[in-house]
Amino acid sequence: MQNNGHAISFENVDKYFYFQHQKTLKEFVQALFVQRKTLERVHALKNVSFNIKQGESVGVIGRNGAGKSTLLKIIAGVSTQTTGKVTVNGRVVPLLELGAGFHPELTARENVFLNGVILGLKEKYIDNILNEIIDFAEISEFVDVPVKYFSSGMYMRLAFSVAIFVDPEILLVDEILSVGDSAFRVKCLKKMLEFKKKGVTIIFVSHDLRTVESFCDRAIYLKTGAIQYDGEVNTALKQYQDVLEVS
Amino acid sequence: MSAKYFDLIKHLTLREIKARYKQSFLGFFWVVLNPFFQMLILSFVFSQVLRFSDLGVPYPIFLYAGLLPWTFFNTALGAAMGSLVENAALLKKIYFPREILVLSVLLAKTIDFFLASLVFLVLMLWFQIPLKPYMLLFFPIFVIQFLFTYAIALLISALNLFYRDIQYLFNLILTLWFYLTPVIYAVEFFPEKYRYIFKFNPLSVFINAYREVLLAGGFPNWGSLSIGVLISLVLFIFSYKMFKKLEGVFADIV
Repeated sequence: MQNNGHAISFENVDKYFYFQHQKTLKEFVQALFVQRKTLERVHALKNVSFNIKQGESVGVIGRNGAGKSTLLKIIAGVSTQTTGKVTVNGRVVPLLELGAGFHPELTARENVFLNGVILGLKEKYIDNILNEIIDFAEISEFVDVPVKYFSSGMYMRLAFSVAIFVDPEILLVDEILSVGDSAFRVKCLKKMLEFKKKGVTIIFVSHDLRTVESFCDRAIYLKTGAIQYDGEVNTALKQYQDVLEVS
Repeated sequence: MSAKYFDLIKHLTLREIKARYKQSFLGFFWVVLNPFFQMLILSFVFSQVLRFSDLGVPYPIFLYAGLLPWTFFNTALGAAMGSLVENAALLKKIYFPREILVLSVLLAKTIDFFLASLVFLVLMLWFQIPLKPYMLLFFPIFVIQFLFTYAIALLISALNLFYRDIQYLFNLILTLWFYLTPVIYAVEFFPEKYRYIFKFNPLSVFINAYREVLLAGGFPNWGSLSIGVLISLVLFIFSYKMFKKLEGVFADIV
């Protein structure tokens, strides 16, 4: 690759977006009359620069609204930066949150196909690996049951299983392992360690600091849109925790 | 949009179809029964109570030929309206061309439309309307209608992300639009000096064209059909461009 081993690189990235105060036309018109604010420019990322090498596991920590999700959105390509340069090399696979791309009325089997094609798989390929996915999710008896009857743990297992069979090069994990029973969580973490060994780049956004600590080689601490610290996991966690205690 | 997304379009369309039919007891029959019963009721009101005459064909079949394309237009836009909002979780997480979400809803409604049309075919045989090769023009006319519907669907689904009550406004517009489209009546019943408005209403153009090829068994009025094609094309290019321009901020605002 011509990217000197960088899976993701951000150069002086700034992201602004407009926050809409009114979600309906009615409220919007009302707001015009009383001259309330309608749009607010939010500076979500401030001059963010970093390089993530291929195969690195990076934790992103920070409080709500610090810009973690915005960062992931830009990496996933669903949102674009306002200024600066972003390079992403490799197939990005997000672990979808509970229920995204699933339909409650459809069976587990149907949902595997749906979720798989959303993540960019071919129908034929899914056909081949269907059984493996179902086995990994431990729901073999419920393949033809509509997922609306599933517990949130079963749901999660299914979603995770589909994602890991996509063969990601860059895996985006956003606060996802908080659901599901602990046995499955261990299984997922094991699978993610396997990915890590295989050289998959993993971006891990979580409030679960212990998982970040045990899993990541590096951490980025975001504070109100700017990188406060980037490097050693322990140092990043310590800085973050200090702030939490003060406030 | 390349063949790359074929599987995605297929499965999103299947989702629309399956999800709906699993919920309702009568399943696929609703798609057929709904317009059929509407046709029966309206037929009774307008052929027994009010009495339209001089249509050249029995009123039920005249009505049905307008009601089916209108039902497609109406239900497709209703479903497309929420197609982006309902998939907010996906919009925030993963990239694929967003128009696929809108397109798959329209494709699902297209299947409904053709299913419901089977009853129309039976009705044609029942009323002994002679089958002619001109009737195959039905398909290209539908393609144009689809393009027009897709154009509006792209616009309203995107706007609905910004303001969630656009749908109520648009439902009102649809109700008005219904009465300004010759579904339950013929254009000829309108005073001559107002008839020009039908020329600029693509839905009216399409419905007239369907009737010309299916019921009269001839060619459509090429002049007004080409106005319909032109409006559809221009609107589609405009709304597709706008949709693609707004697409970049979808993830920021949902």
